[in-house]
Amino acid sequence: MARLIIDCRQAHWLLSRERDAPLRWSERLALRLHLRVCDWCSIVQRNFAFLSQAVRRLDH
Amino acid sequence: MLLRIARLQLRNDAWAEDAVSETIVAALEGLAAFNAKSQIRTWLVGILKHKIIDQFRRRSREVAIEAQRQAPEVDTLEQLFDDSGHRVSAPLDWGDPESQLARNEFFMVLQACIDQLPAPLARIFLLREWLELETAQICKEMQVTSTNCFVMLYRARLRLRECLDMNWFAVQDRR
Repeated sequence: MARLIIDCRQAHWLLSRERDAPLRWSERLALRLHLRVCDWCSIVQRNFAFLSQAVRRLDH
Repeated sequence: MLLRIARLQLRNDAWAEDAVSETIVAALEGLAAFNAKSQIRTWLVGILKHKIIDQFRRRSREVAIEAQRQAPEVDTLEQLFDDSGHRVSAPLDWGDPESQLARNEFFMVLQACIDQLPAPLARIFLLREWLELETAQICKEMQVTSTNCFVMLYRARLRLRECLDMNWFAVQDRR
């Protein structure tokens, strides 16, 4: 059983990993709980989505 | 344009030139069947993407060696967090993607940021996010473990995020 309280470093890691492979349910829950209370990590989540969108348009 | 893209992805001039030559040959062969001129760029890039993946297959051994040689970084990324794992400084909110992505200068900064990544990180990141290959396939072709693969993608994303914050979005705020 993974810990449900995670810090920003772990949240950043999960935010990246969820873009490459499905997270375990406990990881997903821990991440969701963290994002609810952490504005900075929520910004990073949006930044990563932005980055993906931008890279797909590199050749346009 | 094709060569610039191929270099960015392959990080090796000779391989990039090969991929572009093969693209041009394939394009000439297919030209008879091709009419809509307005989409020629999209069409060429489509061929190039296949040729780039071919190059990775052909150079798989060299690419894998470079990826494995990639030193574990004790770098700027660690300074993002304090000892208790909290972020030290606020990330910038990048706002609406559409308004930024309409600007050519944004893409120049993005390319410069990708170019600053170590070659294995840039390759793996672009294979994932530009060529949109599955992570499992990428790890297999790079011959790195999936954990290592996730770590490389994580480092690439964080470095690019910091680079864009510093060189694009922070500068925008000041204007």
